[in-house]
Amino acid sequence: MFGVKNLTFKYPKNKQNTINGVTFKIKEGEVFGLLGPSGVGKSTTQKILIKLLHKYSGEVLYKGDDIKSYGKNFYQEIGVGFEMPVHFSKLTANENLNFFKKLYKANANTDYLLKRVGLYDDRNKKVSDYSKGMKGRLNFVRALLNNPKILFLDEPTNGLDPKNARIVKDIIKEFKQKGGTVLLTTHLMNDVDELCDRVAFMADGKIAEIDTVKNLKVKYGQRKVDIEYKNHETLEKESFDLNHLGMNEKFLRIIKTKEIITMHSKETSLDDIFIKVTGVEKHG
Amino acid sequence: MGSFLVLLLGEIQRMKKYNILAASVLISLIWIGIMHFTGIHDVTQIFPLFIFLDVTSMSILLIGVTMFFEKQEGIIKTLMVSPISKAEYILAKTFANSISNIETLIILYVYAKLFKEININMVGLFSAVVLVSFFHSLIGFVFTYYSKDFTRLLMWMITYSFVFMTPVLLEQVGMIRNEGMKKIFYVIPTKTSMILLNASTGGIKPWEVYLSVFYLLIISILLYFVVLKKFDEFAIKESGV
Ligand SMILES: Nc1ncnc2c1ncn2[C@@H]1O[C@H](COP(=O)(O)OP(=O)(O)OP(=O)(O)O)[C@@H](O)[C@H]1O
Ligand SMILES: [Mg+2]
Repeated sequence: MFGVKNLTFKYPKNKQNTINGVTFKIKEGEVFGLLGPSGVGKSTTQKILIKLLHKYSGEVLYKGDDIKSYGKNFYQEIGVGFEMPVHFSKLTANENLNFFKKLYKANANTDYLLKRVGLYDDRNKKVSDYSKGMKGRLNFVRALLNNPKILFLDEPTNGLDPKNARIVKDIIKEFKQKGGTVLLTTHLMNDVDELCDRVAFMADGKIAEIDTVKNLKVKYGQRKVDIEYKNHETLEKESFDLNHLGMNEKFLRIIKTKEIITMHSKETSLDDIFIKVTGVEKHG
Repeated sequence: MGSFLVLLLGEIQRMKKYNILAASVLISLIWIGIMHFTGIHDVTQIFPLFIFLDVTSMSILLIGVTMFFEKQEGIIKTLMVSPISKAEYILAKTFANSISNIETLIILYVYAKLFKEININMVGLFSAVVLVSFFHSLIGFVFTYYSKDFTRLLMWMITYSFVFMTPVLLEQVGMIRNEGMKKIFYVIPTKTSMILLNASTGGIKPWEVYLSVFYLLIISILLYFVVLKKFDEFAIKESGV
């Protein structure tokens, strides 16, 4: 759906490039995760793809054509959930949605969506009287109001309680099932694990790693089992490779002869991969 | 419904909700109060003066106020990812302004008709209001583009009023009689605006009216393109895009 090639971008105010030669593709029907440390340029990349920032170099294609060749109808099929809630505060949720809905050819059933995210009963309340999480949920509904084909979501579950985050994630999954494409930015690796087909990790204005979640886990994966056991009166710890565990003599001896206190298998989490790939530990 | 109409109706809805229309009505009431207490019975000559302030300073301010609200609430960003054009956005705002100006005009006119005497060409005045308001709305955009905050915008508006409107007002109330000076005033848009508004009361030579219409139209069109061109820059810089 989107093809990004050698994308480089600098904010006029800044000295250095924020994005420095980024190349990736978003395939139709996939949930693509754009990840990386705070300030690395995820939101900036999203803003370039939705034509908010123009003065970039490199190439951005949508359905094979340069995004610059699209007019305002580009937005008919695009839904954007910004990082910060954007609403008319003195209008009610319903008034906000109705105003924006009229700008599009296709409309989603926003009453249904409001019910799903638990805002229906508050639909006639002014947005200024909403809590942070309520504004966030309304932001999400707003992104869907034109029945988009592609959704840009910048930290959609940010500030939501677990129950509402669950609902939002479910809606994203349903959106994908119906053939929708999603570009998702988030800091929550559990969300990535659950939602994303492929992810790109950004570091220092570049893409440090890009692959399916599964492949990344295999690539960076360490599969281990940690055992704590009693050796006479002292507590000992040992770590074994999960591969060929059944042939590991030492491991077998321990579980046969010692009293096991705890035993945990450990797979590399996306958190670990994140830290490793983006090198945030180096920068602190 | 076309996007322009949706945007225009949205502007008007928000002018109500954000109490901007209420403030505009309040100002009309102040003018009515002034008309009432001056004791002048035939208000024909001073009538354009009240309208003048509304279509100039108030138009500038109204654009600034609504855009600052939108900026604060991240709305400009949202509108930029909606299927509308910049031209539609800009024109919806200027038209909404004209509608608010016309509302003031009607309120004042109704008062003058009922309680005072007034002899004015309403069609002429109406057209003048639309044109003058359009021009000053565009000025409002330019000032908003170059203002960091609302206070800065207010300073721009006051400066504009002081530099461009004071001489015209002084002339209008008869305090400037020097003919040479009056000629120089022709190039300032506020003077042209005043001529057009005054034209509805009669006594202005046709060539002066035509010239003013022509002049104001030309500078409005030029300004419109500047406003259109600079919009992206503003939106990116100011809405934290
Ligand atoms: N309007 C702007 N003008 C100048 N610099 C900006 C602007 N917006 C962002 N930046 C800078 O660009 C860099 C990338 O910002 P961006 O918002 O894309 O980060 P991000 O990856 O989305 O971070 P986060 O995870 O915190 O949302 C940052 O260094 C930021 O300071
Ligand atoms: Mg961000």
